[in-house]
Amino acid sequence: MLDFDWNLLLEIDWVEIGEATLDTLTMLGVSMLFTVLAGLPLGVLLFVSAPGQLRARPRLYAVLSFLVNVLRSLPFVILLIVLMPFTLLLVGTSIGVAGAIVPLVVGAVPFFARLVENVLREVDRGVIEASQSMGARLPHIVFKVLLPESLPGLIGAATVTAVALVGYTAMSGVIGGGGLGDLAIRYGYQRFQTEIMIVTVVLLLALVQGLQSAGDSLVRRCRFD
Amino acid sequence: MIEVQNISKHYQHGGKSVAALDNVSLQIASGEIYGIIGRSGAGKSTLIRCLNLLERPDSGHVSLHGEDITRFDERALQQRRQRIGMVFQHFNLLRSRTVAANVRFPLELAGGLSPAQMDARVDELLALVGLQDHKHKRPSQLSGGQKQRVGIARALANHPDLLLCDEATSALDPETTDAILALLADINRQLGLTIVLITHDMRVIRQLCDSVAVLDHGRVVEQGKVLDVFLAPQHAVTQSLLAETGMGQGALQGIWRQRVATPVIKLTFVGEPTLQPVLDKVGREAGLRVNLLSGTLSEIKDTPFGQLLAGVVASDVDVSALPAIFAREGVRCEVL
Ligand SMILES: Nc1ncnc2c1ncn2[C@@H]1O[C@H](COP(=O)(O)OP(=O)(O)OP(=O)(O)O)[C@@H](O)[C@H]1O
Ligand SMILES: [Mg+2]
Repeated sequence: MLDFDWNLLLEIDWVEIGEATLDTLTMLGVSMLFTVLAGLPLGVLLFVSAPGQLRARPRLYAVLSFLVNVLRSLPFVILLIVLMPFTLLLVGTSIGVAGAIVPLVVGAVPFFARLVENVLREVDRGVIEASQSMGARLPHIVFKVLLPESLPGLIGAATVTAVALVGYTAMSGVIGGGGLGDLAIRYGYQRFQTEIMIVTVVLLLALVQGLQSAGDSLVRRCRFD
Repeated sequence: MIEVQNISKHYQHGGKSVAALDNVSLQIASGEIYGIIGRSGAGKSTLIRCLNLLERPDSGHVSLHGEDITRFDERALQQRRQRIGMVFQHFNLLRSRTVAANVRFPLELAGGLSPAQMDARVDELLALVGLQDHKHKRPSQLSGGQKQRVGIARALANHPDLLLCDEATSALDPETTDAILALLADINRQLGLTIVLITHDMRVIRQLCDSVAVLDHGRVVEQGKVLDVFLAPQHAVTQSLLAETGMGQGALQGIWRQRVATPVIKLTFVGEPTLQPVLDKVGREAGLRVNLLSGTLSEIKDTPFGQLLAGVVASDVDVSALPAIFAREGVRCEVL
């Protein structure tokens, strides 16, 4: 590492790196979209159905909670492989970028939903009670109280989830998912092309940094003071 | 008229069942300000929350203007709640909304108004509580008193026929408390709105309420017109609550009775006689000379009242004749 030859950088196939970057961004963007679409309602459902909450359904909660825990306890690589038949059924292929998106979403949804549940628990009980005293129905409470009041927390949860997804995409190389992480493993680790590994790691780091600061600045902008 | 009939509420606590409310009955007349006072844990919050069924009593009924709301289904109850305002100790405003949007919130819930009508109503309410200039601020930018004004404006939005206040001034300093109490009195007068308020401070009751109920360990131990309860408190809890605010003489009476060799009389003035030199007049007529031991002169709601404890040093007439003489002047006299 110390006697790293900087000229090697010139020999890197930047087109391949560009494609890998695009793959990573695609996987991240699409899976993040579906994660929020599925995870937010699931998180709300977990919150309202928990014992002692607005629509306490202890049985339903126990089942959902167990499923979430199961999915969260599986290592992502296992999830990738286990889900292959399901992915094939759903999107017509179980490999490549398209094939990676399904396991990414399945892995991230329970993670995000649990974060959402915890964020919603932070909403002041007094405020929920005040809206009940004004005759609010459950949909009112969800859309006019819970979600707006916890917006900064929800954005924070989405940021954490997006960063975790960046990590997951790296593993999708196992099923030929492509992307930067895949590149780092194939060239850097397996073929000892350190320069490619360094470049991809720097790019991944920049991506994570970018996501985090974008999330933080959004949170700052919508804090309520 | 609000009628609370025999409501009880129990909580499970460490395997034991604790009665937060034990067979409570109340009658609250339309248009009055009704105070509920008691020590911490007496069940005050539980009781007021039973009036809009945020808390469901285990048994008993709550009727608002003849409608038994304990029989309402969820939907009907939600509809009814839109016209029961509630004000909270910790304000419970939505942080994500501006002042105007907080006041608008119950209007959105109720539906039925166009956006322009809602805006007009919000302006009206903000003017009523004196917050026109803070319309676009967030709750976090307001003082406690201002937050409570928002809370009150919000509670009034849908023209309620009942306003519930759970320790609405307990988080505020004395000056701000006075201003908020004055606002509530104003609203009661202007809108003829029935107000039920909870407090542990007798001064709030004295300043604002027409009637009062004293709650202790989930039971109503005393209730009636504020004037009557203040001047002749029956229950020990009432007496000690009054004594803490310097308005009770129950404890003092005993002490003076023991220390002073002369007979002791208690004079109670209510209304007009408070403003007359009654003691001076009776003193001349009956040759009465007294040694003043203690006294209170104050106002209950808008009625002036006074209470004096005096040792009779000399009197031309027999002490037992004094009550009749004072009665002619409209003053109650008791020989202790
Ligand atoms: N959700 C609950 N679960 C268990 N016990 C409760 C609950 N709410 C109230 N209690 C109990 O019921 C009793 C009455 O409580 P409540 O809050 O009505 O008192 P309070 O008079 O309003 O007191 P404070 O002046 O402190 O507000 C207390 O003993 C309290 O511990
Ligand atoms: Mg209370």
